[in-house]
Amino acid sequence: VKERRAIVLPVLGELILTGGRPILAIALAMIAGAFLIIAYGKNPIEAYAAMLEGAIGSKAALANTGVRTAPLLIGGLAIAFGFKAGLLNVGVEGQIYAGGAAAAAVGITPLPVPGWLHVTLAIVAGFIGGALWGVIPALLKAYRGVSEIVITLMLNYVGIQFASLLVHEPSPLALKDSFFPQSPNILPAARLPILIKGTSLHAGLIIGLILAILIYLALRYTPFGFRTKMTGQNPEAARYAGINVKKQIIIVMLISAGLGGLVGTGEVLGLKWALYDYFAVGLGYDSIAVALMANTNPLGVILSSVFFGALRAGAGKMQVAVGIETPIAQVIQAIAVLFVIAIGFGERVRIANQVKKQELEQEAVAHGG
Amino acid sequence: MLAGAGGLFTERVGIFNIGIEGAMLIGAMAAIWGSLVTGNIILATLFAMLIGGLVALLHAYLTITRRADQIVSGAAINLFALGITNLLNAPLYAGFEYRPRVEAFPIIAPEALQEIPFIGPILFAQPVIVWVAFAIPLVLAWVLYRTSWGLNIRAVGDHPHAVATAGISVVRLKYAGVIMSGLFAGLGGAALSLADIGLFAPNMTAGRGFAVLAAFVVGKWNPILVAGAAIMFGAAQAFQLRGQTLGLAIPYQLFVMLPYLLTIAALAGLVGRTVAPKTVGKKYDPETI
Repeated sequence: VKERRAIVLPVLGELILTGGRPILAIALAMIAGAFLIIAYGKNPIEAYAAMLEGAIGSKAALANTGVRTAPLLIGGLAIAFGFKAGLLNVGVEGQIYAGGAAAAAVGITPLPVPGWLHVTLAIVAGFIGGALWGVIPALLKAYRGVSEIVITLMLNYVGIQFASLLVHEPSPLALKDSFFPQSPNILPAARLPILIKGTSLHAGLIIGLILAILIYLALRYTPFGFRTKMTGQNPEAARYAGINVKKQIIIVMLISAGLGGLVGTGEVLGLKWALYDYFAVGLGYDSIAVALMANTNPLGVILSSVFFGALRAGAGKMQVAVGIETPIAQVIQAIAVLFVIAIGFGERVRIANQVKKQELEQEAVAHGG
Repeated sequence: MLAGAGGLFTERVGIFNIGIEGAMLIGAMAAIWGSLVTGNIILATLFAMLIGGLVALLHAYLTITRRADQIVSGAAINLFALGITNLLNAPLYAGFEYRPRVEAFPIIAPEALQEIPFIGPILFAQPVIVWVAFAIPLVLAWVLYRTSWGLNIRAVGDHPHAVATAGISVVRLKYAGVIMSGLFAGLGGAALSLADIGLFAPNMTAGRGFAVLAAFVVGKWNPILVAGAAIMFGAAQAFQLRGQTLGLAIPYQLFVMLPYLLTIAALAGLVGRTVAPKTVGKKYDPETI
């Protein structure tokens, strides 16, 4: 029996671990969510049907899903990309505000340039704004070995408060005598184009999709991608191979933070059309969940962000139709992530066993020779 | 917030717990619920600690037994806490026609201190939980530095293999440390919801759990110093509220940023030297050395 298990389990495990793991986790989370809905005194089938309708049931629903997917997609990419170099960027939450503020600053300024150039400049500004937020953790990690996790986490609050400072008078970015603290509206020329007329679906989604493909290709086929992955997997070996690990850490951290800035840029230029304080609460932390669900694969991030986006979009419909409040989406999302990491254990044990087996073999060879 | 300082036990055993925020939030709600059901504030507080401990147990299971990434697990727990408390906020008060204010912690104002002119009534008339919060770091410091269990806890964070060699269960100590952090996070949550307002508000912890993590760094992982740092952070937040009403020339946002900037400076080595427990954030595998 033991032998049969030894053959069946790895094969089964392989299947579950590659593509199946997140799907299994989502299924389990949906089941857990169903119990929660029952506890709430509602019919889970009705509730999920309403959710599905709200996510993909109409043109407006699809657009809504797209709007919610865009920031999660870019944010998930920011974290997934950093992860490849062994960096955990927990600072997307703050980079959103830094990038959003920089994009807004360019977006509200009248420039004597054509519209496409104005919006491009605003996007670039947003990327740079986010990247600036990555400078401190990048340098501290590369030269002092200080964990980027705590630094990026602390910078979140600095970013959030910084943006709040900018939209309150007497800041030059604040709209005068406004009821809500906000910046003046983004000029029409600097707004991201709307993809479907009559909805708020904007080009941020396209930007995210292009970035996902670019990052996937860069990691897989370019020397830069190879250096990044080497730095993440084995910095010692990378150093011996002649890779400038410090430089690589700095570049990757800056790009990851810049992508974090683009999340805020998309929201400001595409959806809100002005800078507000606290305009995107929790998106940065959600992005960690998105990246993890995709096992930090850039193309996988597309799928997981669509799933999370659909969940959020559908929850609104569910609230109206069945009367379950929207935070159910957060709960299902969190449970799905918890299941993913709980299931992930098997994979690590498998890898550890492989490494041990190899070591034993090497030892045997060494002794035999 | 002060009580959250007890959470540093988790980092002492080498587990990074950003889920403290979530445990505090759930604790805050549990305290209100416990108070509504039992009408007894001590039971309500204990219930909040129990729930906080359970949340931490989940984190411990995922990160220690399942060896999941500690940040990811913590982030998921925070998301879960935010969602579940938002979801349960309305049913919490179901059956009541209006939102009852539950009994809050009684205010204790020692007579002798009241007689200090001016600052006496302002500084020394505090809900009982605040006085408890001042006592806790002292007790925890004693446990950590003066008991053999505390020695083990400290050792696990720095040299887990040495502890294992001494025949002591590393896993059990790690669990204990993480659960301690949950208990005190729950207590911190109770302090938040049961002190003066007696209500639960969505996301009422508003980043305090992360501020606790910052306090660890600034307080150099010593319970008393961490408590001192937490008081300073709390003062910065209190000042933020005052500053807004006073219409000060200095924007309040700068005060809110200050603790975090200080933490970064401390980590960068600009303000003294901070040494984290060596294995914080790392997975413990009994078979690798």
